[in-house]
Amino acid sequence: MSKMRESVIMKIHYGTALAAVALVAVHILMRLTLNFAESLEYENVIANYQFIPYAGMLEIILILLSIHGFNGLRVILLELKQGKVYEKAVSYGCVAAMVGLIAYGSRTILMVNMGMV
Amino acid sequence: MEHRDENKEGIGGMINPRRYGIERVAYLLMRLSGLGLLAYFIGHIYETSLILKGEVGWSEFLELTQTTEGHVLLAIVIAMCVFHTVNGIRVMLGEGGVGVGKPARPDYPYIPASQNVKHKIGIYSAIVLAAIAMLYGLGVMFGE
Repeated sequence: MSKMRESVIMKIHYGTALAAVALVAVHILMRLTLNFAESLEYENVIANYQFIPYAGMLEIILILLSIHGFNGLRVILLELKQGKVYEKAVSYGCVAAMVGLIAYGSRTILMVNMGMV
Repeated sequence: MEHRDENKEGIGGMINPRRYGIERVAYLLMRLSGLGLLAYFIGHIYETSLILKGEVGWSEFLELTQTTEGHVLLAIVIAMCVFHTVNGIRVMLGEGGVGVGKPARPDYPYIPASQNVKHKIGIYSAIVLAAIAMLYGLGVMFGE
């Protein structure tokens, strides 16, 4: 894997943050369109997932927050300790965790969207 | 090398909010809220996957979140989210050169131009807005 410059990574970090703020706001507002508890009832949640634009938005939020969250964790861990092996382990570990979380979350979105429940 | 190691405070130095004013408190809160939100996000992805267990599995889990502890936890998440967002926007603006003052010759008592009243107001606003959002969230969750 070629090394990405930290300045580019921070631009991605800030870009994902700004995009996530807008989309998470929509996600939260969806919970308030109905009564909060009612919006979390099984039928309503299934209906949310099966509405393709909303499911697409959830997938985008999942990707944005995974990138932002695990890069943030990487930054914190690199502030604590430095070293060639340590930095590589942290960076690859965070990328692996990020990919794993995106895969797990996407599985839920896809399966519910396709009615596999 | 030994001398350099002696000066490393590790996690203790990172989480010490004293000595450097409100900016240091904001630095600590930004990291704590970030880690808290990442933990919540991972938990949220797991909890939503329980819908694959069908209506019974989903309802059983939902009951756990509809408790006083669940509501308090969610209110803390709301506060962390608002603080992280508002303070994050302040940090982004600062890195873009907004509100950090003009470069000048460093004169005694060497007050950094970037640590000015605008950014202090930004930090206090983030804390106040987080508290307001948390109270609003508690109102919504306990008001039902």
